[in-house]
Amino acid sequence: MRSTRIVADVARLPRTVFGHRSLMWWGTIGFIVIEGSTLFICVASYFYLRRNFSTWPPEHVFRPGLLIPTIQAGLMLLSNIPMVSADRASRRMDIRGVRIGFLVCSALAVIMTVLRWFEFQSLNVRWDSNAYGSVAWATLTAHGTLLLLETAETMAFTVLLFKGPLEERDLAGASDNALYWYFMTGVWIPLYVVVFLSPSIM
Amino acid sequence: MPLTLASTLVQQAHASLNPASPQVRLVDRLGTAMFVTAAVVCLLVFAALLWAALRRRSGAEPVAGGRQERPMKTAVLLATGVTTVILFVFLIFDVSVGRSITTNPGNDALQIRVTGHQWWWEVQYRDSLPKNWATTANEIHVPVGRPVVFELRSTDVIHSFWPPNLSPKRDQIPGNENSLWFQADSAGVYRGQCAEFCGHQHAKMAFLVVAEPADQFEGWLARQRDTAQTPTDSRARRGKDVFMSASCVMCHAISGTSAGSRIGPDLTHLASRRTLAAGTLPNTRENLTGWIVDPQAIKPGVKMPPNQLSGPELLALVAYLETLK
Amino acid sequence: MTAIPADPARPTDDESVRRQLDETWRQTPGLWGWLTSVDHKSIGKRYIVTAMVFFVLGGLEAGVMRAQLARPENSVLGPDAYNQFFTMHGMTMMFLFAVPVMTAVGLYLVPLMIGARNVAFPRLNAYGYWVYLAGGLFLYISFFLNTGPDTGWFSYVPLAGPEFSPGKRVDVYAQSITFTEIAALVAAVELIVTIFKNRAPGMTLNRMPLFVWAMLVQAFMVLFAMPWVATVTQLLAMDRLVATHFFNPAEGGDALLWQHLFWFFGHPEVYIILTPGLGFVSMIVATFTRRPVYGYPAMVLSLLSVGFLSFGLWVHHMFATGLPQLGQSFFTAASMMITIPSGIQIFCWIATIWAGRPRFGVPFLFVLGFVVIFVIGGVTGVMVASVAFDQQVHDSYFVVAHFHYVLIGGAVFPLLGAFYYWFPKITGRMLSERLGRWNFWLLFVGVNLTFFPMHQLGLEGMPRRVYTYLAGTGWGPLNLLATIGAVLVVVGVLLFVINVAVSLRRGALAGDDPWGADTLEWATSSPPPPYNFAHIPVVEGRAPLWEQPGELPAVSGLRTDVRDVLVTTLLDARPDSLHRHPPPTIWPLLTAIATTILFVTLIFTPWGAVIGTPLLLLTLLGWGWPHGRDHQEQRMVEQTG
Repeated sequence: MRSTRIVADVARLPRTVFGHRSLMWWGTIGFIVIEGSTLFICVASYFYLRRNFSTWPPEHVFRPGLLIPTIQAGLMLLSNIPMVSADRASRRMDIRGVRIGFLVCSALAVIMTVLRWFEFQSLNVRWDSNAYGSVAWATLTAHGTLLLLETAETMAFTVLLFKGPLEERDLAGASDNALYWYFMTGVWIPLYVVVFLSPSIM
Repeated sequence: MPLTLASTLVQQAHASLNPASPQVRLVDRLGTAMFVTAAVVCLLVFAALLWAALRRRSGAEPVAGGRQERPMKTAVLLATGVTTVILFVFLIFDVSVGRSITTNPGNDALQIRVTGHQWWWEVQYRDSLPKNWATTANEIHVPVGRPVVFELRSTDVIHSFWPPNLSPKRDQIPGNENSLWFQADSAGVYRGQCAEFCGHQHAKMAFLVVAEPADQFEGWLARQRDTAQTPTDSRARRGKDVFMSASCVMCHAISGTSAGSRIGPDLTHLASRRTLAAGTLPNTRENLTGWIVDPQAIKPGVKMPPNQLSGPELLALVAYLETLK
Repeated sequence: MTAIPADPARPTDDESVRRQLDETWRQTPGLWGWLTSVDHKSIGKRYIVTAMVFFVLGGLEAGVMRAQLARPENSVLGPDAYNQFFTMHGMTMMFLFAVPVMTAVGLYLVPLMIGARNVAFPRLNAYGYWVYLAGGLFLYISFFLNTGPDTGWFSYVPLAGPEFSPGKRVDVYAQSITFTEIAALVAAVELIVTIFKNRAPGMTLNRMPLFVWAMLVQAFMVLFAMPWVATVTQLLAMDRLVATHFFNPAEGGDALLWQHLFWFFGHPEVYIILTPGLGFVSMIVATFTRRPVYGYPAMVLSLLSVGFLSFGLWVHHMFATGLPQLGQSFFTAASMMITIPSGIQIFCWIATIWAGRPRFGVPFLFVLGFVVIFVIGGVTGVMVASVAFDQQVHDSYFVVAHFHYVLIGGAVFPLLGAFYYWFPKITGRMLSERLGRWNFWLLFVGVNLTFFPMHQLGLEGMPRRVYTYLAGTGWGPLNLLATIGAVLVVVGVLLFVINVAVSLRRGALAGDDPWGADTLEWATSSPPPPYNFAHIPVVEGRAPLWEQPGELPAVSGLRTDVRDVLVTTLLDARPDSLHRHPPPTIWPLLTAIATTILFVTLIFTPWGAVIGTPLLLLTLLGWGWPHGRDHQEQRMVEQTG
């Protein structure tokens, strides 16, 4: 092994960092890119298959119901408020602020998961009726797995926040969870537009 | 038990290197130009590589530094520039060839619909009058010197229609309608084969294109339009009864009889064809008999089941089929 | 921030530093240690060995195929067996060998080359390997049980759909890809984050070795390409399992949707395989010509261009499907254009060789072989980029010849060169030069003899994926020639395996730097200690070992009693923070088992999701839940309101 001469000492560097300084943040971004691609593929397939139909939705299929999906979309957007608050609290090392934000978001996540079930019914078509039904269900399912994972992660994190013992870097972890939350809720809006609104527009 | 195709059957080599149509001739020219250029490029690169590796070096020559940078930069830029020009030239050449071979052949063209099935070709000559339509299988006749438009379909999986002497290929995709056209320049028998993996017997899904002078073609087409003759010979008549009472009628049609199923190839003019089983066997009495008894031995996985017939029944059936000219 | 304790965690004398680091970083002994390891070198080695086992299996499959095709109407394999064999050969080579082996070498080498102690997410790395292994085992067990996939590695619908492929074979296809794709994505995230955030201080992007650039580009390509094959195979699985209609024309589905989605992945896939090979070549050329590769900026830009452009070519696999001609011409242009950055790299390497002082060691021979074989494949690639010409040779043996030339030339030859080059670093022993030369020449002659005749066969009309052909076609003699070539290839590969086996025991001891190379991995011992470097080096140029022939500058301050790693900034690699890596753990393996249960049960019933998902969430919980917290400086002072 080559011998070395010390030219600097890094012992005083911080151990808890946020945002793009953190490794986990980059890991979360990687996951977001992967899941985002999957959702993009669903949307691309949606429009590709549209070309095989003269009417959209196809004949004898009702347009999707809009009540529950719109409530869900609104809830997705609003849920960012407690999550942003938790995110900011985490950067201040304010444990209480993070706990409150995550508790609220855990509750919202459960509600949104239940609403997702009803959103499938709002599609007014079965997955095995035709290609329209198949691709609409696929899009909801793909996003649904994100929702499920994020619900589980947020709830688990909330338990850790209350049970402890906590380290500083757990708060950085809370901030990374927030990043994923922003993605999960944000990406839903264009998906909602495509799956629920576009059959009325097109 | 392998049964080989007699090599005298195919009079022209099954090859895109033996063009028999202006389309293939154009593509062949493009291919040759690219091949020659490719060979020259390869040789130049290999020569440069060998020279660079093996050249004599003086001991004091530095490995990195200003004096060498200039010739290296020039060489790399020059090579890159030449590469770009070559690619650009071939891009233009290719687009123009592509344009030429797909231009509309005009209203004079003959229309044939070829539908791919697992593992045979349904061939239908379509005319403005449906009563003039003729349906056959696995052997396509075309008149020399007249453009022929092929409508390409499939009812099951993706197949691909490829007669390399006459035309580049086009896929037959369920749910889609594709087409290609070519014009045969010279008479001959040309072989084609399915070029998209379609299951067990993709390897033995071939067809023949017989290009013949216009009058011979018209004669052939007229005969294809005819219904099957009623057999006069007693053995052949018995054979027809065997056909109608055995499982044959479940899949095969013979026009002029009550057999009308379109699941398998139309047999109305079976005896006029040069091959059996989509180009797998020469159409001889022995091969036909073997095929009827056990198609699975020749094309394992094919949809036709083996047939248990007694000796006399079999002879009669074959005799009948031989009357279907 | 709490105060940092003094001495005991950071001994200053070298020997106690190494002793402590060894104790902190080493793998637990025995089987348990192997199962719980989070050491990128241990994981990298098993990954490489597993991938090479699949390479041999894929090669044996090809050998049997060539035996069948040696004569017309042969009876070595019937159609059903042959269809499984060619499918397994394609899947093994593409999914179980080519991408994983490049990934594996990257996971082993990149941290060493950038002066890091491990990859960014050590447990995730372990998980990626186990999922890969599970996928390979799943595929092969199915094959031996006669439920192996049989519709080709690209498995077109409707043939692969529920109507024409009943049974579970195509479901095995769809789900085994899920495993390998997860593993590839895991590795991609690892490589990107490690390269971005764990480089040695001073290693700006501008100073990264070309192999690291190649792995970075490859990782991004994987990130953007793999989700397409993952999604499209799930759509196929759904058509088969729960009667969706994505690909069923009768209900508005589309057979071409499969092809677009698959090839959007499939084309970048082959460049994913090629790009690390190009990285290997750069490293070997530099060391064996004793000078840096000429044109570093051009080389980097070329790698980036190839990565980017490869996403714009996919329709050239669909030129026979009847798409509009104008659109197809765009893809001809793009497919030809990608030749330019590939060509630039070749020209720069030749220039480097010209200017340098070449030594004809075995790694360098493989580089020379790469140029010859890859360029031949490259020029036939330009030919098939042309729509009109491709419509003649598409789905014929001409294409088989083309892609074997580019893949064997562009990936396998550089890979073998890389093995001869880095085997000393990984094992501490040299491979035999004499056996290496035989290895090289047998392969070089064998590959050309096997695949060159296939160009002619394609032009003579021989389609792909045929279990036999008729004697009257005249294709017999060239097929026989190809089979003879294949025998030589088999012997060549066998020689490589023998070389490895013999040299592991009796090879000459290598020392730290047997080649006199320029990059950081040669600054540590062979094999490297578990902690890679006693002190993280500081880099001041592109060739640190050549620029600093004596002592290397380094940083101190990382703790030796926990698994401390240094995190640096993305562009300039300035030290930014410290990070503590987890110790060995069984949870990645357990999570991989849960993942396997999920995807295998999904083949049989959609309720597999209900069984498998909670199990998976449970293992993820076990993985992520913090254990063993007793480090003073990190504890939060609880403030309950």
